[in-house]
Amino acid sequence: MELYLYLALFSPLAGSLFAGLFGASPRTKIAGVVPSLLLLLSFVSSTVLLIYILSGGEKVHVEMMTWMATGDLYIPFGFIVDQVSVTMMMVVTLVSTVVHFYSIGYMDHDKGFNRFFSYLSAFVFSMMILVMSDNFAGLFIGWEGVGLCSWLLIGFWYHKESATWAANEAFIMNRIADLGMLIGIFLVYWNTGSLQYDQVFATVGSLDKEVLTWMGIFLFIGAMGKSAQFPLHTWLADAMEGPTPVSALIHAATMVTAGVYLVVRANPLYDLIPNVGLFIASLGAFVALFAASMALVNRDMKRIIAYSTLSQLGYMFVAAGLGAYWVALFHLMAHAFFKALLFLGAGNVMHAMHNELDPFKMGGLRKVMKGTFIMMTLASVALAGIYPFAGFFSKDLILEVGFVENHYIIYTVLLFTAGLTAFYSFRLVALIFHGEERYKLFGIHPHEAYKFMLVAMSPLLLLAIIAGSFKMTYFEMVTAVLPATEYHVHSAIAYWIMTIGTQLFVILAIAFAYKKYANNKVKVPDGTSKMENNLCYKTLSNQYYIPYIYEEYLVKPYRELSSVFWKQVDMKVVDATVDGIAGIIYAGGEKTRVMQSGNLSTMLKWMVAGTIGLLSFAVVFGLAVRYSGEIKIILSGLGV
Amino acid sequence: MLNHILSILIFFPALAAMLGFIIHKDSIRAYGVAIAAIEFALSLWLWFSFDSSASGMQFMENLPLVPAFGINYILGVDGISLFIIILASFFTMIGIASLTDTKNEKNMIVTLLFLQMTMAGVFAALDGIVFYIFWELSLVPMLYIIGAWGGPLRIYASVKFFLYTFTGSLVMLVGMLFMAYFYYQATGAWSFAILDWYRLILPESFQLWLFAAFFIGFAIKVPMFPFHTWLPYAHGQAPTIGSVILAAILLKMGTYAFIRFSLPMFPDASVFFMFPIAVLAIIMVIYTAMVAYAQEDVKQVVAYSSVSHMGIIILGTFALNVEGITGSIFLMIAHGVVSGALFLLVGVIYDRRHTKMMSEFGGLAHVMPRYATIFGLMLMASVGMPLTINFVGEFLSLLGFYKQSHILTLLAGTAIIVGAIYMLAAYKKMFFGEVTNEKNKNLPDVSKRELLALIPLSIITIWLGIYPKPILAPINNSVESIVQLMHDKSITNEAKTRIPNLVKGAEIAKTSEQGAH
Amino acid sequence: MEIGLNHYLVLSTLLFAIGLIGVMRRKNLLLLFFATEILLNSVNIAFAAISHYYGDLTGQLFVFFVIAIAASEVAVGLGLLIVWHKRHGNIDLDHMSTMRG
Repeated sequence: MELYLYLALFSPLAGSLFAGLFGASPRTKIAGVVPSLLLLLSFVSSTVLLIYILSGGEKVHVEMMTWMATGDLYIPFGFIVDQVSVTMMMVVTLVSTVVHFYSIGYMDHDKGFNRFFSYLSAFVFSMMILVMSDNFAGLFIGWEGVGLCSWLLIGFWYHKESATWAANEAFIMNRIADLGMLIGIFLVYWNTGSLQYDQVFATVGSLDKEVLTWMGIFLFIGAMGKSAQFPLHTWLADAMEGPTPVSALIHAATMVTAGVYLVVRANPLYDLIPNVGLFIASLGAFVALFAASMALVNRDMKRIIAYSTLSQLGYMFVAAGLGAYWVALFHLMAHAFFKALLFLGAGNVMHAMHNELDPFKMGGLRKVMKGTFIMMTLASVALAGIYPFAGFFSKDLILEVGFVENHYIIYTVLLFTAGLTAFYSFRLVALIFHGEERYKLFGIHPHEAYKFMLVAMSPLLLLAIIAGSFKMTYFEMVTAVLPATEYHVHSAIAYWIMTIGTQLFVILAIAFAYKKYANNKVKVPDGTSKMENNLCYKTLSNQYYIPYIYEEYLVKPYRELSSVFWKQVDMKVVDATVDGIAGIIYAGGEKTRVMQSGNLSTMLKWMVAGTIGLLSFAVVFGLAVRYSGEIKIILSGLGV
Repeated sequence: MLNHILSILIFFPALAAMLGFIIHKDSIRAYGVAIAAIEFALSLWLWFSFDSSASGMQFMENLPLVPAFGINYILGVDGISLFIIILASFFTMIGIASLTDTKNEKNMIVTLLFLQMTMAGVFAALDGIVFYIFWELSLVPMLYIIGAWGGPLRIYASVKFFLYTFTGSLVMLVGMLFMAYFYYQATGAWSFAILDWYRLILPESFQLWLFAAFFIGFAIKVPMFPFHTWLPYAHGQAPTIGSVILAAILLKMGTYAFIRFSLPMFPDASVFFMFPIAVLAIIMVIYTAMVAYAQEDVKQVVAYSSVSHMGIIILGTFALNVEGITGSIFLMIAHGVVSGALFLLVGVIYDRRHTKMMSEFGGLAHVMPRYATIFGLMLMASVGMPLTINFVGEFLSLLGFYKQSHILTLLAGTAIIVGAIYMLAAYKKMFFGEVTNEKNKNLPDVSKRELLALIPLSIITIWLGIYPKPILAPINNSVESIVQLMHDKSITNEAKTRIPNLVKGAEIAKTSEQGAH
Repeated sequence: MEIGLNHYLVLSTLLFAIGLIGVMRRKNLLLLFFATEILLNSVNIAFAAISHYYGDLTGQLFVFFVIAIAASEVAVGLGLLIVWHKRHGNIDLDHMSTMRG
């Protein structure tokens, strides 16, 4: 099995290096095909491992080599394939294989084709390290590695100012969270003496509650950055500047879920600190609602999906925070499938519309893009959580968790958000595919994407539809390592009322979205309508003014303070002091050189003065020594 | 020959430099490269024959100079100094090999070879006076390099560099004289040998004063805030090769000396001053990172980033435990490699455009993709990306200091944020966007000669990031012996608790003994 | 009244003061030599007096030394003075400032 582990882990790296060889040369298909095939290999290996684990195999644990060893610290490159990591491996390799093949078509005309595949495969490699590592340091390697690849890929079109800005923003914001993560790792090391998961989790039980709380908080801060939880969420929407396959892979399916993975992985720790767990769940519920509200009014197709991702991440954190780790992981998996599908569909639309992102400028595309239309609609249905699609099983389960654990506020928030989710998803679908063909006003001639791109997307479609049916198999598998709590509403009637009620609510929201946006009266908003000038609308469309606040109250002051530090403090205080001391000595020399007038008479006078000075000094000193006893008495009398 | 390999390492380049004066101008470059390559090979041989499992000094040489005052020519290396010596000879080699259009090339190469002598001398010397001589001598070639090949403000910069560091080292010399005097009082014989000084247990008040005296010398060299202002001038005016050697090796003298002198000689004072120094280090980290962010000149960005990274090194050193000190020594090497490479990279663009202002560039990734790639790699190493060389050092340094203070480590950890801010901002200004400046449209990508220097550095950056063990293990052994020495020597209770005792058995025996009483 | 040690010492001090003032005030090189002679001789008087007072000849021995050295100094000094006068036509101290720093 070790062979499959290494294959799964290193074939993306091989693909990345292979594509990297062609980095500077002009576009060649082979630079895209080979990494994609290698990823397929990785996917197959992961599947083999999954089957092995499913059939009751032991965890696969390898230690490749030592990384750092000093003092008591010992960090190896160790990898583990257990029920949790194999789930993540499947998600990562499956989605990335799809995205790779899709990108061969999507990036067809881009001159950075080779470079793109190099970065994309490098990302997959980092992500695999992240999920497969058997220790926190290895996790951190992957953690930073995906951050780096995300930076490279968001800023892939580096000639665009907005793209590079977004890339830097994402990197720096993630770094803020990484600091928390790093501190968390330090705490773990100094308290448990190890960074290996098994050893750490074996010893956490005996630790002080306060230490555990801090550990949990700091590790979660790390998770907040990667999973774009409030207040570190702004980068995710801006990250949509990257190519759309990147958004599908990194910013929907894999990297952003790393935070959830971390909490799930550290479940023995979080089990001991339910307070932190509750905080995580509350923050998750807040983010779910908060992000969904921003998605309601946004006019950028990709940003809407990004906010939806954010909102769904909130759901996952609710589950993870309430201790339902397997539910979180299950939703993570289901979400990866339909969200990636949604993004790839959006990519098709973008291509068709010549990079136009405003859904109000589209409309009626279902006629020209039948395949994409069906896929995006089904993905949205799955996202909305309609039976029997994947979202129903995973998302409703989270609602149930909230209900069963007696957190009714969280439950209500999530229920309400489910309605919002359905609304904004179908608002998007309605605007893009239904109604009048508004794009004609802008002289765009849309066309369907390549066939093979649609074929590449189809596995995701299939999974978005049927993933829910794996629920019990999956449950039996992961609960070998995760707490096996089943969440059932106690009375059957309550369960049916809840389920049917939720379904009805969601369907109503969908119907409302269709009614409002699928007709021919939808116009391209021009900022004059009453709704757009509504305070509420403005707040939402400006993302609660949070980016503005960050820019005004954090970025600008930092820039100005830096400038002040350089020009005022460093130059005018620190350096000026040094130069001042040198200047005083220099000026002293300049002043005293008059003594060396060369005039014998003057010099003789100085000589006499010096002699007298030295003599009087000697006399005073001599007297002081002689009468030191008396002087001490006088001084002590003065209170010195 | 192996018995005298350190002397050979020190004096071979000096002799070669003198011979260099009679070599013809056209062949001096080949000569210089050959000499530096031999020197590098010798240093590798030193590594090869170095016993990694031993913690003490190896290849010791002892030759009496002034026996009456205990001044001896003592040399030796341990895991701490070994790799800096190798790094020094490596940088001299690639520095000479990648030297581009320099006037008076001959003088430059001769100067560099002399500089190599002083660098090897500083890190191999185990006698206070010999150390001091090499320490001061190293100023002269660098003064000459900045003053003769520097930019428009070169005289000011070089004089500032010289006088500032020289003043500091004079205070250090006074400290050394006192140290020898105390040794004389304690034992009745003069000695300047560092290993003798290690054995001396001083009362805490003496330690504090001596620590302060040594501190001034080292802190200016490092340079620590607020003694850092000579560095931006020196870097700003120095030619590329000067900056490279200055950042990669000369700055390390200060931090190395902290570990060689201050920690083992004054363990109680080190504990006493740990927090003030840590605060200074944190100011260094954050403040200079912010200053770096405000810079308009890319070389100044790299220069200030050096100061910022040196802050982490200092912090690791004063963690006073094995993890931290090992990390800081590793980071010295890592920072040497990375900042050296960054200065070389800045030199590449300076050779083409004769300006270092970032506003002049933009969109360079279009015209110089290979350059952008290597720069990007070094940038990522500089911000401490895992699997690059810097991460190992930074991680261990911060990890070590975390044991001493949580809050301060949290503050110092912001290095990974502020570091990313200025580095990414600089990279964005230089490489991203459209090519707006006409002059940048047809710049040639990195040449073969430049790659000669950059490729090995890139390889080291990644190789040691993935597999730091060959360096980490010898460092670890030597550091363990130093930490144990500090623990044994320390007299205050605070120091006993702050500095870990590595001999676990002894601790138990002692406590049970106390229990018995 | 008997002339005692103190009288000699007072005389010596007075002479020393006169010499010192001369050294400081005189602008003529020749007069400067006179003033230094006075200084030296004031010391000589003190030496001789104290030597007599303690009955120790060392002081008087020193006086001889001083006289001898003063003589040679004057000889050399006057020689230089004459050369200077030949070159520059004056021996005014204010004109001798080639050692200006």
